[in-house]
Amino acid sequence: MTVNITINGQKIQAQPEQTILEAAREHGINIPTLCYHKDLSPTGNCRICMVDVKGARFLQAACATQVWEGMEIETHGEKSIVSRKMTLEMMLANHPVDCLTCEANGDCELQDLAYEYRVEVPEWGTKGTHYPVDSDPNPFIFVDFNKCILCRRCVQACAEIQVRDVWGVAQRGFDETIVAGADTTMLEARCESCGQCVAYCPTGALTSKISRGLGRAPQVTKVTTTCTYCGVGCQLDLNVKDGKVIGVTSNPDAPVNGMALCVKGRYGWDFIHHPDRLTKPLVRQYLLSDQPKPKGKLGEWVEVDWDTALDITARKLSHARDTFGPDSVGILTSAKCLNEENYLMNKFARQVVGTNNIDHCARL
Amino acid sequence: MTNKRIIHQPIQPEIQELAAEYGNDSESILSILTRLQELHGSLSPEIITDAARALSVPAHQAYGMATFYSMLFLEPRKQIVHVCDGPVCWTKNAAATHKAIEAIANDDWTVERASCLGLCDSAPAVLVNNEQAGPVLPEDAAKLLEGWRGTPNGYTTPRKGEVRAMMANAGKVDPKSIDSALEHGAYDGLKKALGMTPEAVVAVVDASGLQGRGGAGFPVGRKWKFVAQARNTPKYVICNADESEPLIFKDRVLIETNPHQILAGMAIAGYACGASEAFIYIRGEYAAQARLLEGAIEQAEEKGWLGDNIQGSGFSFHVHVHRGAGAYICGEETALIESLEGKRGEPRLRPPYPPTAGYRGLPTLVNNVESFAAAANIVRNGADWWRSLSDYETPGTKLYILLGPVENPGLFEAPFGLTLRQIIDEFGGGMLPGSEFRCALTGGAAGTIVDETLLDVPIDYASGSRYGISLGAGAFMVCDQTTSPVALLQVLLHFFAAESCGKCTPCRVGTWRSKEILTRMVNGQGQPGDVEELKALADHMQSASFCGLGQSAGVPMNSAIQHFAQAFEKAANG
Repeated sequence: MTVNITINGQKIQAQPEQTILEAAREHGINIPTLCYHKDLSPTGNCRICMVDVKGARFLQAACATQVWEGMEIETHGEKSIVSRKMTLEMMLANHPVDCLTCEANGDCELQDLAYEYRVEVPEWGTKGTHYPVDSDPNPFIFVDFNKCILCRRCVQACAEIQVRDVWGVAQRGFDETIVAGADTTMLEARCESCGQCVAYCPTGALTSKISRGLGRAPQVTKVTTTCTYCGVGCQLDLNVKDGKVIGVTSNPDAPVNGMALCVKGRYGWDFIHHPDRLTKPLVRQYLLSDQPKPKGKLGEWVEVDWDTALDITARKLSHARDTFGPDSVGILTSAKCLNEENYLMNKFARQVVGTNNIDHCARL
Repeated sequence: MTNKRIIHQPIQPEIQELAAEYGNDSESILSILTRLQELHGSLSPEIITDAARALSVPAHQAYGMATFYSMLFLEPRKQIVHVCDGPVCWTKNAAATHKAIEAIANDDWTVERASCLGLCDSAPAVLVNNEQAGPVLPEDAAKLLEGWRGTPNGYTTPRKGEVRAMMANAGKVDPKSIDSALEHGAYDGLKKALGMTPEAVVAVVDASGLQGRGGAGFPVGRKWKFVAQARNTPKYVICNADESEPLIFKDRVLIETNPHQILAGMAIAGYACGASEAFIYIRGEYAAQARLLEGAIEQAEEKGWLGDNIQGSGFSFHVHVHRGAGAYICGEETALIESLEGKRGEPRLRPPYPPTAGYRGLPTLVNNVESFAAAANIVRNGADWWRSLSDYETPGTKLYILLGPVENPGLFEAPFGLTLRQIIDEFGGGMLPGSEFRCALTGGAAGTIVDETLLDVPIDYASGSRYGISLGAGAFMVCDQTTSPVALLQVLLHFFAAESCGKCTPCRVGTWRSKEILTRMVNGQGQPGDVEELKALADHMQSASFCGLGQSAGVPMNSAIQHFAQAFEKAANG
């Protein structure tokens, strides 16, 4: 059963459980939102999506109003536009005007809407609330609540996606603010630094601390890849600038994980260009000259090609198996490898070496 | 970095025991925080965190509540005086009282403002710790700190023209004695209802035409029908006694004069709707009234008029008194339910409405105190009797509150359709000598500000949208030539800004911004364009706010600017 509605004069068949916003978006009609996110339950907090519904006394929040048979909706009528502009003005009035240096520039839903609706920061603005910048010592998440528009997506992301309930709302009215726990640091409030709140923040209030100053959305190329850390196979976007990875962001279309990532996937990318990272095999000097293992110091590391390194490995493994028996060899594989690679290691252990001594780091 | 609270320290035994006393029920968090505050003088983040852990709720939830409710606080205090800065107390110069108390109070005392305390008939009103007092003039400050509390009003004698139904037994019934209440037939309506089918009880209330007395006037019978027909069980009955709107104190008087009448009304509603569990959500400032209700419930249970198997009928009905902690928004029914569930009192998305999914997501009837009092009388005396009380199209009677410079201010009961002129002249005895009518705030703080052109309009639930003079919860504050409509509006917006919950943008910022502009105007620093901005803010709050609080904040703004355009232009342009 469908429901017949009209949006901006266009006749649409909607599903009975759909909201105005869902029906509109399905048919390519854009209604702006800020507090709404398809992954989170609708709250109706920000009031940007207010639309005109024929017969209703007041404007209706498209994100939270279900369609009904015969509903007639104007998404961009004069009343809605005036209302959206005023709401934006109210948000900008308490928002610093520092897009020039803001991390979120180019990736800010508030900025995009201010641009679309031609709303400037009002003259009466930015004299209300002031919060310390970088107010939380979390090593990965940079907090600047001066940029917060109190949409509460961070609170919901933490509660509904990560289920950690770190963020909450404190005070009331104009003094309302987002707090971690009982106004403690995030880590004290059980934060595990997954950065879901950062991913869902529509402004620059929550950003990545370790990517700070390295490059902003318009400057980076996003390379979608699979996280190298574990076997879940989360997809993420490497943010690449000048051939270097400068951060990781969620890929909303990721089939396995959606926007969710863990602390390792989102913030554990610094190994990529780390000077300590090995990119070529190293072997001990004594192995190259076929000397016995020296007592005490094992000697220098020497960079070699892969063939040399693998030859040595094969020789040593064969020697161990032949001298001490197959069960003298044990193999531990890694979640950073592909399934196929892990399968091959299993074959290698059981059929080539002849041992059942094989395990995997994800089983620990 | 300090990780002191993530390392698992044991919960303080005192808090663990207190939580156990409440069955470790997360919904009891407000009561537990209130108790801990009484014990420690304030709530520290450590206490809050431990209370949250003991009840297995997130720390932010407990902290969010501790900072949401105005009667909870984080800074240590010993003794507190709250001085009301509501509109009525403002006209009675409560600011002078505030200063006088501050001047003589030693370090043991903290003197603070409070939004309307519901003691408008004793203005200037104060709350000393949890004790109500008033009127407190500046010269009474010393007496007040020594224990003097003023004289409350009784409303025992009807004034000329009154038609008393809900107030019929005021002064006759001893509110502390169920025997006295039973002598006056307090539970006759319930007895009668128990002999009828639940459907028949709903039909009587429906036939009476009773409209909800919280201010919106929704038909009570229809609401009962919704709850009765709702499929899910169990169902709940909630009596909204959060009465926090400036000018309104009628529910307090109903509780003080005849608490059993309300309990009987609730039990009847429970029987009609199929609920056996009920709550009275009473504002935290009404501590004395909450105690009165608790005492009445206890006595009614002893006499078998509440509790299990009422009078052998097989119907059980348990009533619990739940105290708020200072938040006007909790009068909004979904915010009230959130608060009852142990959360910040923020309104919910509607639909679903409480009759379908309310408290704990189950069918819930929420009615105002006055609605339950009326229902008790309607079921007892019949729908025809209720309709016979009045010739006006809206049946029955209503409690009215009249305040300001009139001869005889206070509370009275009368039929609908009175004009403001009748209210002032016939019931109030006219304006005081030397006072001339300038404007009136009608309905309550969220009502209309009108001039003399609307003095002769019959007032009912529809007159607000039809003629621009609202009935609301039935309060009328008359102002004379000494009161500027601009200053009155500033006081109202000060209230709305202090009480906005902060959930939605238009109300959170709009009330604050409107107050800022009005404060400038009152201080002689108005600017060209101020009036236009106020109008735009009012329209925006009305059309785009999440709940009734923000939507109605625009009502006094628009009406005041409409009727007193000159005064506003003058204030804006200096």
